[in-house]
Amino acid sequence: MTLKVALASFAHVHAGSYAHLLAAMPDIEVLAADPDGASAPDPGPRGAALAEAFGVPYVDTYDELFAWGPDAVIVTSENAGHRALVERAASVGAHVLCEKPLATEVADGEAMLAACEAAGVILMIAYPVRFAPSYLQLRANVEAGRLGDVFAVLGTNNGKIPYAARQWFVDAKQAGGGAMVDHTVHCADLIDGLTGGASATRVYAASNRILHQDKGVEVETGGLVTINYDNGLMATIDFSWSVPDNGPTWGGVSLQVTGTNGSVEIEPFLPHVGGTDANGQVFLGIGGNLDEAMVDTFLDAVRTAGPAVAGQPPAVVPQPDGAVGLRTLRIVDAARRSAASGQAVDV
Amino acid sequence: MSEELAGLTVGLIGAGNISHVHVAAWKALGARVLVHSLEGAEELSEQYGLEVVASLEGCLAEAEFVDIVTPSATHKEITLAAIKAGKNVICEKPLTLTAADAHEVIDAANAAGVRLYPAHVVRYFPEYKAAYDAIRAGRIGEVAVARFYRQASSPAGAGWYREVARSGGVIMDLMVHDLDQARWLCGEVTTVYAAQNPPTVDGISPVNVAAHVTLTHESGAISHCRATWGATGTTFQTGFQVAGSTGVLRFTSEADTGYKEELQNGGAGGDLLIPASSLGESPYLTQLRELAAGLRGGPEPRVLASDGATAVYLAEAARASMESGQPIDMKTFVSSGAVA
Repeated sequence: MTLKVALASFAHVHAGSYAHLLAAMPDIEVLAADPDGASAPDPGPRGAALAEAFGVPYVDTYDELFAWGPDAVIVTSENAGHRALVERAASVGAHVLCEKPLATEVADGEAMLAACEAAGVILMIAYPVRFAPSYLQLRANVEAGRLGDVFAVLGTNNGKIPYAARQWFVDAKQAGGGAMVDHTVHCADLIDGLTGGASATRVYAASNRILHQDKGVEVETGGLVTINYDNGLMATIDFSWSVPDNGPTWGGVSLQVTGTNGSVEIEPFLPHVGGTDANGQVFLGIGGNLDEAMVDTFLDAVRTAGPAVAGQPPAVVPQPDGAVGLRTLRIVDAARRSAASGQAVDV
Repeated sequence: MSEELAGLTVGLIGAGNISHVHVAAWKALGARVLVHSLEGAEELSEQYGLEVVASLEGCLAEAEFVDIVTPSATHKEITLAAIKAGKNVICEKPLTLTAADAHEVIDAANAAGVRLYPAHVVRYFPEYKAAYDAIRAGRIGEVAVARFYRQASSPAGAGWYREVARSGGVIMDLMVHDLDQARWLCGEVTTVYAAQNPPTVDGISPVNVAAHVTLTHESGAISHCRATWGATGTTFQTGFQVAGSTGVLRFTSEADTGYKEELQNGGAGGDLLIPASSLGESPYLTQLRELAAGLRGGPEPRVLASDGATAVYLAEAARASMESGQPIDMKTFVSSGAVA
């Protein structure tokens, strides 16, 4: 059965990855729209020109995109635009893969979950690191009890500032904040997956803007958040955009998990061939395409679930789902309030 | 033996874990070592060729200065006894278990004209010194976010480590190194936020326990220290990443030492409680040579009693933060003086 998959907006840098994947898949018809692309401040093509570069068909407006009757929609707009597009997808009965974070405000996230639930559509969040082989191995070890009781996690998601390609990442209104919003959620998602959905009870965050001062950025560019969970777990996440612009790769994710029987540390983006060339350090990633595993999981679920029936839950709920998106958004929201007040925040 | 340390007689007080690396360093420096300890002095003496002294007073009388490597809760009393005897002191970290006690011994040392140096050996590990020098030289610009970690096989299964009143727990005993490093590399501390899991109950540390402490610094930098007393057999590991406005420095003891062992029979394995030193000069030797030279009127060492007191003060603030669940403002923090 051919699936019709809509790609809503090219604002997020991941839209290109999804477009290339979809364009290469058999039994997938893809259609993209990027109506706000023309007004974006970034250099480089958006809209029809970028769709052509990605090799996907294009329409000028969201009206045309949703009138096309998509089975599924991938939302890759600015974070603040997720709610409107997800609600619109739900209103036409299309299953949704939404770029992370779910939204910029908890109330938006709650509304999005409610809309998808009412429409009976899948809401999956684009957290690709969940599909890394090293993470799957870690989770299998945790679930098999090989770490004993897990009591502490140290996560890092350090990367280059996503500034040159898409300036909205450093616009507090469009992104919901800076590095804290962009990077906390990935590790929070990985922890959510290890704990089976533990909720944060107390959150403390400290942030600053020392990194990338030269770029005139007005959002936080570095810092840390410490989280206590309702199952007793303690975790800290370093969310800094602390990979220098001339680093050999964009950055990475690490998760160090300690239990009573030992610890496991994963770095899903570390597998690589290194070396040196005329431009400096070489970093040839060999960790596989995590987006592909994630998009496959989403589309398999869309096929299995079939057309949405309003008021009925979809037959398949692929993970990470909207509930994970909301729990991780609540952590970011608490972290923002903590960093602003200087106090720990009870959730 | 170097000229500056010729004819040195050291009074070693204590014969536990850390005494071995200190003794090895003193012997390598050519010092005569007297040892006094309630336990283990004979064995240590036989192993290394030392001279056992039955009483603390006797040891103080004969030694040029003392090197205190006893359990943490006894540091204050023994240091005060040495000061009273007019002897200079090198004291293993933590200097004392409270900042109030640290200031008491510092005041006593000053009043008696005695020198007192805390043994914060991490300042002598070449990787930390290299990072310190690079940061001072501006290699990574302004420090923004720094992370430090330290893990060891838990010593809290038995003995004095598990009693927080005697060891101070994982933050005071283990993380105190990185609290000092965070301050050394990032500057004076303005707030301290701490979490520990599992929590300490009734003054007994969990055997397997981790602590996460976030510091903010006067410069605006943020740092994080993670200390873990891990499952039995956990190898000692440390490392750091310091991100600045123009660059990043990182080190991990598992990967960046230039020596990797894969021996099937008779391999030495890593030490579980004390870091495997780099293959060059032992940092303990570097430390004790610099401290001894300082005690003999040489240049001031890179770590002073006030640094040891501040590290203890930060560890106390971490405990206060865990009690309140909120960050501690170091401008107004007053230690309760409680040790657990």
